[in-house]
Amino acid sequence: MRISEQAKQETRVRILEKAAELFIGKGFEDSTTRDIALAAGLAAGTMFNYFPSKETLAMNMVGDAFRQGREDFKRRRSGKEGLTEELYLFVASGLRRLRPLRPFLGPVLERSLSPFPRKNICPEGETARLEHLAAVQEIIGRHGFAETPDYVAMTMYWSLYLGILACWSNDESPNQESSHALIDYSIRMFVQVISGVGSDKGEAHAS
Amino acid sequence: MQVEEANTTESLQMEILLDALPKESATDPTGLRLASLITNVSNKKVPVNSFSRIWTLGSLHARVTAGYLAYWLRSRLSDADKRQQLKSEAHLAAALKLFGTMGYMRGAVMKVGQMLANLPEVMPEEFAEVLSALHFEAPPMHFAMVREVFLDEFGREPEEVFASFDRQAFAAASLGQVHRAWLHSGEEVAVKIQYPGIARTIKADLRNLRLLLQPLCLTIDWQDTLAKLADIERMLLMETDYAQEAIFGKLARSAFTAADRVVVPQIYDEYSTGRVLTTEYLHGCHINDFLATDPGQGERDHFTHLLTVATYRLYYRLHWLPADPHPGNFIFMADGRLGLIDFGCTLTLSDEEWIFSNVAIQAALDRDLPGLNRAIARACRFDDPDDMEPDRLEVIRSGFYWFMEPWQQEGVFDFGDRDFFLRGIDNVIEATRKGYTRSLPMTLWSNRFTFGGRAFCYKLKGCCEFRKIFLQESTWTSTEADEKPLNSP
Repeated sequence: MRISEQAKQETRVRILEKAAELFIGKGFEDSTTRDIALAAGLAAGTMFNYFPSKETLAMNMVGDAFRQGREDFKRRRSGKEGLTEELYLFVASGLRRLRPLRPFLGPVLERSLSPFPRKNICPEGETARLEHLAAVQEIIGRHGFAETPDYVAMTMYWSLYLGILACWSNDESPNQESSHALIDYSIRMFVQVISGVGSDKGEAHAS
Repeated sequence: MQVEEANTTESLQMEILLDALPKESATDPTGLRLASLITNVSNKKVPVNSFSRIWTLGSLHARVTAGYLAYWLRSRLSDADKRQQLKSEAHLAAALKLFGTMGYMRGAVMKVGQMLANLPEVMPEEFAEVLSALHFEAPPMHFAMVREVFLDEFGREPEEVFASFDRQAFAAASLGQVHRAWLHSGEEVAVKIQYPGIARTIKADLRNLRLLLQPLCLTIDWQDTLAKLADIERMLLMETDYAQEAIFGKLARSAFTAADRVVVPQIYDEYSTGRVLTTEYLHGCHINDFLATDPGQGERDHFTHLLTVATYRLYYRLHWLPADPHPGNFIFMADGRLGLIDFGCTLTLSDEEWIFSNVAIQAALDRDLPGLNRAIARACRFDDPDDMEPDRLEVIRSGFYWFMEPWQQEGVFDFGDRDFFLRGIDNVIEATRKGYTRSLPMTLWSNRFTFGGRAFCYKLKGCCEFRKIFLQESTWTSTEADEKPLNSP
């Protein structure tokens, strides 16, 4: 019997929901794929047809959250924002969607988004990174930058963003409010780098 | 071109601020040493300053505050022996760098800077000028950040919560900024939004400040300074609680009737949380704009009268010291009413403090010298007047007599009298120079209340019948106190 596309989609959603519950309840490390399959009412083998690993599962959640965040951002953008403000809105909208996943996000992001060379690149993580950077480039393009920022600038952006994610996923203050200043700071720094304004030509460290 | 203009503006601002700062009359009458120190601090780029950051405009003021603090610390050390002085200066240089990087939230840095004005070592009249410059600087949060605070606090965007909401803030306020908005029912409101994470920053800043002040531990009453810093921290943290401020605002509002001509804006609870405070918007201007209209003596006296009634009403009825009487908290309304806003920094006196506070006033009014001496000894943290050096007692007592002058004069008292005002300042300078600064933390706030209010009225060049107002307001207390048991539930 062929499973309809709709039924497949429903199963996928169910697996993601159950996995999220387990990750939040037991932690990412202590939840097994067997636990997840059981909770979703599936045979372990069937579940692998949907998600080949626990990491893939978690990164699918993250990818979904990022996509929703981008949609929120598009909806919230008024067009009156300056570059810094627009980037802030973009990053904050994404984090807001990620928030329910925060309790187990640290190890997931560490494995899937690590900038260090790895044997197995997580494809979902790579997709999330590329989509995020594409959105950032689109934002920059709206603010009078004729050329796309070069490799160095975008690598710097991604490093800052990973720093924000690391701090935010570990931020115990209410609503992660301590991270807001870091986000704002990081974005201003990046904008300054690509705008080439306010360079201190190194004299900051001269004395 | 723009950069040049910005630099010119910055150096102009710097000049104004330098002019306004107090100088050490004995060792640095022209302020050259102060200027060089501040320039030094301003040019010292810590990594933080090389980012154009949210608090760009504030940073100049922050650096000037840092420079001034250094100057003040140096002047405190001028009597120390040379070796000790050098050692302390080395500490100071390290501490200054720390101050430059101190917390990335300039809002908190500025607030701490302002609070330092409470330490009696700083001269209030001139410092008040600087403080008023600090209060209306450009707001630091961009709108996207404000929206995030709203989503966290209300689960909705500002434009959803309100019928209309200004993207640009119109004022900086207690550890946040204020936006103008309109309710769906049409009322115009002022919405104060707190910087995210400010309370933590305050704690970190105060920790750094204690390190910064470490060189002083041998030269002044260190424990006393620590106790005062702890009190400053307590008050600053209280200021981050807008729910508490809403309670203060409502109490204050209930203390005035239409006939008083003093207005405390209405609080809108359904639009307020611990980090967002929505109040009625009061139309009017601040003191500088009021003075720019060249008001007649009658108008000046009128507002001096209202200000005196307002502050002593809060003191006698609610046992409050409005401990943040900076000019931005008073609105001169076109119809002649006085608006009181911002009750974040309000000290409610405990019963013990209240009784103590009035014992001293009563002793001075009754010309009961032994009683007054006992009260002064206690305020200075001595068990008995005999434990105090006679000169210390004399200096502090003459300060208290100065404080009491308006209370004892029948008829009109002229708060614009330069001699009167300067005598008060001179007394503080004398006490400071002689190191007579040990006192109960409460005196930080009562001094701030007194000097803040008097500096304001001095600037206003206003007169009022102070004694009559005091008698009216204090009489109310005793009558009300008698009636209270009958009315209380």
